[in-house]
Amino acid sequence: MSQNLFDSWRDQPLEEVLYQCRELYENTDFPTVRAWRDRGGKVLGHFQVYFPEEIVHAAGILPVKLRGGNIQPDKADSRFGSYLCSIIKTSLELALSDKIELDAFVTHPICDAARNLGAIWGRNYDYPCEILYLPQNPNSAASAEYLRGEYDRLQRMVERVAGAEINDEALRHSMAVFNRNRALMRELYEIKRQSPEKIAAEDAYALVALAGILPREEHNELLAYVLPMIRESAAKQEDRIRIVFEGAFCEQPPFDMVRSIGRSAYVVDDDFMIGLRWILSDVPRGRDPLRDLALSYIEDSSYSPVQHDLRKRKEEMLVRRVRAANADAVIVTAAKMCEPGLEEQVAYIHGLEREGIPFFVSEFEENQSSFSDLELQLETFMENLLFA
Amino acid sequence: MAYAAGVDVGSTQTKAVVINEDRELIATCLIDTGANVTKAAENAFRACIEQEGILEEEIEWVIGTGYGRYKVTFGNAQVTEISCHGRGATHIFPGTRTVLDMGGQDTKVIRVSPDGEIEDFCMNDKCAAGTGRFLGASASALDIPLDDLGATALDSDKGVAISTTCTVFAESEVLAWLGKGKKVQEILWGVHESIAKRSIGLMRRVGIEGEITFTGGVSLNTAMVKAMEDVLDTKLNISEQCHYAGALGAALFAMDHIQASRAPHPIAEEVAQ
Repeated sequence: MSQNLFDSWRDQPLEEVLYQCRELYENTDFPTVRAWRDRGGKVLGHFQVYFPEEIVHAAGILPVKLRGGNIQPDKADSRFGSYLCSIIKTSLELALSDKIELDAFVTHPICDAARNLGAIWGRNYDYPCEILYLPQNPNSAASAEYLRGEYDRLQRMVERVAGAEINDEALRHSMAVFNRNRALMRELYEIKRQSPEKIAAEDAYALVALAGILPREEHNELLAYVLPMIRESAAKQEDRIRIVFEGAFCEQPPFDMVRSIGRSAYVVDDDFMIGLRWILSDVPRGRDPLRDLALSYIEDSSYSPVQHDLRKRKEEMLVRRVRAANADAVIVTAAKMCEPGLEEQVAYIHGLEREGIPFFVSEFEENQSSFSDLELQLETFMENLLFA
Repeated sequence: MAYAAGVDVGSTQTKAVVINEDRELIATCLIDTGANVTKAAENAFRACIEQEGILEEEIEWVIGTGYGRYKVTFGNAQVTEISCHGRGATHIFPGTRTVLDMGGQDTKVIRVSPDGEIEDFCMNDKCAAGTGRFLGASASALDIPLDDLGATALDSDKGVAISTTCTVFAESEVLAWLGKGKKVQEILWGVHESIAKRSIGLMRRVGIEGEITFTGGVSLNTAMVKAMEDVLDTKLNISEQCHYAGALGAALFAMDHIQASRAPHPIAEEVAQ
């Protein structure tokens, strides 16, 4: 399949490219995924947070990051309790309402709701619905070997869906594509940290998120085209607070919320779609690609409330993120009903208090449409920082 | 004499105040906000200055606050109502460390430092339970004018238990108590107690410290003041000016600006010497 799925940005000026990206991100009909299937391609949907997409890519299947969406879970509501987070419901709703058609689904036991999502999904579809058990305790000496075994199990499932074997050469090629992709995303975040005025928070967010619904080669082309334009942008720096946004590791904040925050502050770092940026540097491409991927997950990765690595205490990692981005303050948030996210807020708050870093605590829901209260509170927080 | 003005465009009412250079309250005005927010801000401001025969050009700086602060198109700047209520309350009662601002659509609790800086704050969630709206819904169900709510509720020495957390359902619960033969006064006192208990939860989130000043339109409701004092087991700071605390805070910020802009620049002074 050589034809591109998303072409409207090509040869366009920066503003138009960013507009096209925002439009595609907000389109809950997922036209690129639909177009891929219309051309005979297969799709594997994987739930948040991290997933080794390279294995799926190597089989010629499109890995799609299921991150819910701004839709009403009319059908999915009946499958879940009302006390659960929104992303669980809207992710299944995407399938039940035929907005996304899959050939396989994988979830992770990051919380009770996500763990049960595989079985609930499986009651509705005949295709494979699996749980990938990423090690909850990466400090164990056996965790890399264990994870390699999990990736091997995943590879066999993917091969069955693809109807073909995945060889190491194909896997190494996919790893190179994804290494390039992560390097480009790191470059984008470097711009955010150094010159946040050059790219609006919501635009950077959309640019990253599109990786979850495009073939990664296309996403690489898009980033390679747009990054030099962003760097050369003549936007002037304004007197705004530099903030880190923390709490978007799974359910994503509404696009308009990111836009609202970006109007009053520079978002210099964040954990938006952190799973796509989980591995921090290039995955080595040695003799055992699955082991290389497993080692990178354990030894060279970011942090989130759903991985418990004693070498990466979350509050210390957040403070490090704040210092590295030279941020003035943090927005500590969590999706409503998100147990891991809300629990981790306590550690984050204590860590920030210890370091004397100002913070603002909030909650969100992906389908939220009114932000006047949030804007008011955020503006007051900013007033206090600016005029204290 | 230079004057500063603050215009607080709230969801229900718009308040305007003018202060002089000694930060004394010169004029106040209060009107219903209605559907045209920009017009309400203009009307309140004009009525306020006309009261004291102050010319518009004598007002050197105007700050808009409240949910309609960006609709104060003739203003020079905007400051949020949280900052303004904190500032206004500490000006009216210098011992204030906690501000409870109960308005038509939301309730805010603000913890302030001795100089009026905001230390922490929180607001009620999406739902209007525990706000003036809750009182409005109950008044409507009982067919009692809003202004008579407090006095009517204070006629009772006991209240029914209002358990709903939803303003919409409050009306049904109030009617259910009427159906059971409870007196209007008892039901109303129950409503006030229910709001007071909900507000305490909000206050505990930021921590209750020092003197508590009650601001916003609901602070004029005598039953609400009593219910809050009963639940808190302490007296609240209340004054007629508390209804204008947001607009007053905005005017104080405006006067800060006027006086700061007049202060000789340290470098200019050095050059002059």
